[in-house]
Amino acid sequence: MGVLEYRGVSKRFGQHRVLEDLSLEVQSGEVFGLLGPNGAGKTTLIRVGLDILRADEGEVTLFGAAPNPKTLDRTAYLPEERGVYRRAKVRELLTYLGRLKGLKRAAARAAADHWLERVGLSRVAGQRVESLSKGMTQKVQIAACLMTDPELCVLDEPFSGLDPVNVGLVTDLIEERRASGRTTVLSTHMMHQVEALCDRVALIHHGTLVVYGQLDEIRRRYSRNEVIVWTAMDLVALGVQATQHKPGGWRVELPPSVTAAGYLDELVRNGVTIDRYEPLVARMDEIFVHLVGGGR
Amino acid sequence: MRMQRIAAVARFEFLSVVKRWSYLIATFGLPIFLAVVSGTVLGAQTYFLTQRAAESSQFGLVDESGVIDRAVFEQRDGARVWTANGNDVVLYDNGDVATSDLESGRLRAVYIVAKNYLSSGEVRAIQSDKTPLLSMGGTTIEPLLRSLLRKSLVEGRLDGDVQERVISPAYFIRSRLGPEGEEVTGVDEALDLLVRTTIPLFLGILLLTALLSASGYLVQTVSTDKESKIVEVLLSSVTPEEILAGKLFGLGAAGLVQFAVWSSMVVFVALSASAALASVVTIPWEALAVAPLLFILGYLFLGSLMLATAALGANAAESQKLTMGWAMLAILPLMVLVILLEAPNGTLGQIMTWIPFTSPLTVIIRLAVDPSGIAWWEVIGAMGVLVVSTWLSIRVGARLFRVGFLLTGSMPSLAELWRQAR
Repeated sequence: MGVLEYRGVSKRFGQHRVLEDLSLEVQSGEVFGLLGPNGAGKTTLIRVGLDILRADEGEVTLFGAAPNPKTLDRTAYLPEERGVYRRAKVRELLTYLGRLKGLKRAAARAAADHWLERVGLSRVAGQRVESLSKGMTQKVQIAACLMTDPELCVLDEPFSGLDPVNVGLVTDLIEERRASGRTTVLSTHMMHQVEALCDRVALIHHGTLVVYGQLDEIRRRYSRNEVIVWTAMDLVALGVQATQHKPGGWRVELPPSVTAAGYLDELVRNGVTIDRYEPLVARMDEIFVHLVGGGR
Repeated sequence: MRMQRIAAVARFEFLSVVKRWSYLIATFGLPIFLAVVSGTVLGAQTYFLTQRAAESSQFGLVDESGVIDRAVFEQRDGARVWTANGNDVVLYDNGDVATSDLESGRLRAVYIVAKNYLSSGEVRAIQSDKTPLLSMGGTTIEPLLRSLLRKSLVEGRLDGDVQERVISPAYFIRSRLGPEGEEVTGVDEALDLLVRTTIPLFLGILLLTALLSASGYLVQTVSTDKESKIVEVLLSSVTPEEILAGKLFGLGAAGLVQFAVWSSMVVFVALSASAALASVVTIPWEALAVAPLLFILGYLFLGSLMLATAALGANAAESQKLTMGWAMLAILPLMVLVILLEAPNGTLGQIMTWIPFTSPLTVIIRLAVDPSGIAWWEVIGAMGVLVVSTWLSIRVGARLFRVGFLLTGSMPSLAELWRQAR
């Protein structure tokens, strides 16, 4: 049973259909990538899953039940349009948000201090949020989201506005969650982060599911049967139909019946000295553009 | 609804508001400001009254006609003096001496009853150049002199009673034709009515001000939440009902503190008035006693509607406009105040008692002006209606609140709101 499941979910605003008969499932312990162009319906899908909006049709279950206050206590949400009480002090704000998730006052305060330490903001605990930089404010929001150690955490564009050091910090936090068996839904346009972090993904376009499944399997599915062979030898001179990828690197398109492993055997048997050999797997940004950009 | 979450929201909202300078100034600064202003005004008045008291209150009277009855004057320090209503009237035989005393400042004015008074009725009044001309109008000396002249003219010429009636022709006894016949209306009752209408009016305005002030905070907090975009974080943790209730209680507590501080002034004034005027007036204790409860119920009802409608606005200004209608309904009793004061238990008063928008203020006014005319079941019933209306408005308000909270851009149509609020 999935942690978060959508079955035949539709939602419209006025005449505009935002979600159309959408079904997917987020499994326990995984990092799930929710992808799609702007206006695809990702935020609405998240809102419906967290009971912020109600679906017009279909069914949503959160931890096996319809979203309710108890199941929502086991989740946390970092919205894309995230807000804070700018006049509140950092620790006060975190303590308050922890209280809203059901922590006792002392526990909320302790969690606030712990997470401010984790994101390197202990020194600003007593300052007003309005005095912080954009990046620091975002780290406060991430700390607020993770401070209850939620079983399911939905992060909408958690990397936007962060410098590389802090992107690394957030990446580590997400990895830690996976290692401890916690589930994370990651909605982002940063495809290299998706490739680095996600186990499974769903790509939504115009409110419908375009691609859904294991990340590796999807990348393979949309990959052409090509390999890069890194060798000092001239493959073209050896009669191989290859194009030069980079100096010392040759791009070879394989016939559908030939596998990358089989072709490697064949090269070795023919006496080609290989420095490096890599089957070419489609990048997520290529797949994204291919699917939502009309194949451009 | 989870009480702990509601309490967390309430505490946060309460502290957010009461720490603001605007709140502290409005709550504590206003009474201090009023105390300073009224103290200054009273002090200035007292000063001028003292100064005036220090001035001479003696008047000279020269009787050239010889009609004045000398018997009312008594010898004092070699002069003939008639004292009435705190004024001393000194009788002079010689006009020059009187004028000299006027010039020296011993007298405020000299009245000369002309020689041909009986035929002309002429009495000349000469004031000192130090005394402003208009200031004599405020004294009681001239009515007293008229009485003295009248008495002097008829003394011994008429029967005792007739003479008395010529001097004092009538004592008016006012009465009102009520359901139980003619009821005498004394001077005390008029004063009582004055106090009875002033205090409820003041109390009503305070109740309304505190209600609208607390509601204003509600509108402000919703706008802040919407504009700061924190609403989704809140809604992923607590239900709209819990947010709505928490905000209502937190900001209501802030409003109640404000109302308590302000109304303590009324209680203070009432207690002072009670001590000073105990023999003539009755303080509307019934109205004062139920005022906090009516404030709480009225606030919860109005506040939940305000919150729900404020959430539909895209920004603070739009939210203010949207909630203005509720405020107008709440001040309706003040618009028809004259009718309510004249007939507190009339048809209008009775109808407005049962309308949740108008009942808090109407019940206060009715209890204050004529507590015997409103039945206990009307007070309990009005509160019951308020409780039920509040429950309903919280239920409906929470749905609108959820929809409105997430709305951005232009206002949705009513049909769209209804569809999404289901």
